[in-house]
Amino acid sequence: MLVIVKSAPDTAEGERGVKFARDMAADLILLQNGVYFAQKERLGGYCGTAYVLDEDKRLRGLKDTELEDDIRAIDYEKLTELMAESDKVVGMF
Amino acid sequence: MSTLAMILRRSPYGDINAAEAVRHAMGGAADELKIDLILVDSGVLLAKKGQDDAGTGFTNLGSVLQDCIDMGVNVYADKLSIRTQHIDSEDILEGVKVAGSSEIAEIVKEAKTTMIF
Amino acid sequence: MTKTLTLFLSTSPYSYENTSTAVRIAESALGKGHTVNLIASGDGIYCFLKGQKAKGITNAEEKFSELIGKGLRVYL
Repeated sequence: MLVIVKSAPDTAEGERGVKFARDMAADLILLQNGVYFAQKERLGGYCGTAYVLDEDKRLRGLKDTELEDDIRAIDYEKLTELMAESDKVVGMF
Repeated sequence: MSTLAMILRRSPYGDINAAEAVRHAMGGAADELKIDLILVDSGVLLAKKGQDDAGTGFTNLGSVLQDCIDMGVNVYADKLSIRTQHIDSEDILEGVKVAGSSEIAEIVKEAKTTMIF
Repeated sequence: MTKTLTLFLSTSPYSYENTSTAVRIAESALGKGHTVNLIASGDGIYCFLKGQKAKGITNAEEKFSELIGKGLRVYL
């Protein structure tokens, strides 16, 4: 299962999306303002695979050194591949 | 000359607020108004260096903010918000003044009009 | 294997980043041969008005017209 989060960490929507992903052991895709969840120490307790949309991260000036090491940067091609392969896509929060 | 204070509370790109704030700030500066643009909460992310709009279809709002500064707009970023947004003061565009809550309160108090984005 | 992706767009074209995200996802999925539906609801229907003049941001009319030409199925 995939959960897509587009809202920032300081919003109820963003927090809810990440909590859902955590509780359902789903993979997490961060785009739009959701990319700020990829900053260090923002995803405490999340153990699944997290992806961040590279284009939205670059647009906001986020550098790789500011992000958690194990978050994978993806493009739209990889995003739609993940969406098509997943049994269920939930979001966007 | 009366001052117009604009407070931006929202991060750039996710919604139109940051784009509107800089658009109105530029308009005010072009009309020779004194503009104070105050970035608070996730609004401080507008001042982050290194925004790269290549291939996105978006206007680079970091560059537009720099244009505002060059046109004489006073841009302030709230010190506490910078910390809560997990960014370093070194990552803030040159020309943006980092200000504490009491300094920001004083600026808003002095302004004739305040717009909130 | 081709799949069907259905996107739901409920926000106006220029107040949020959702227009751009929907366009880019649809563009990529159509390029891979998937079927893509887009359901526009509420303010999302404004993305499909004629005569839009947006610059410096994804022009919804232009991009969605282009994607409809590539097979995007839009339901208002």
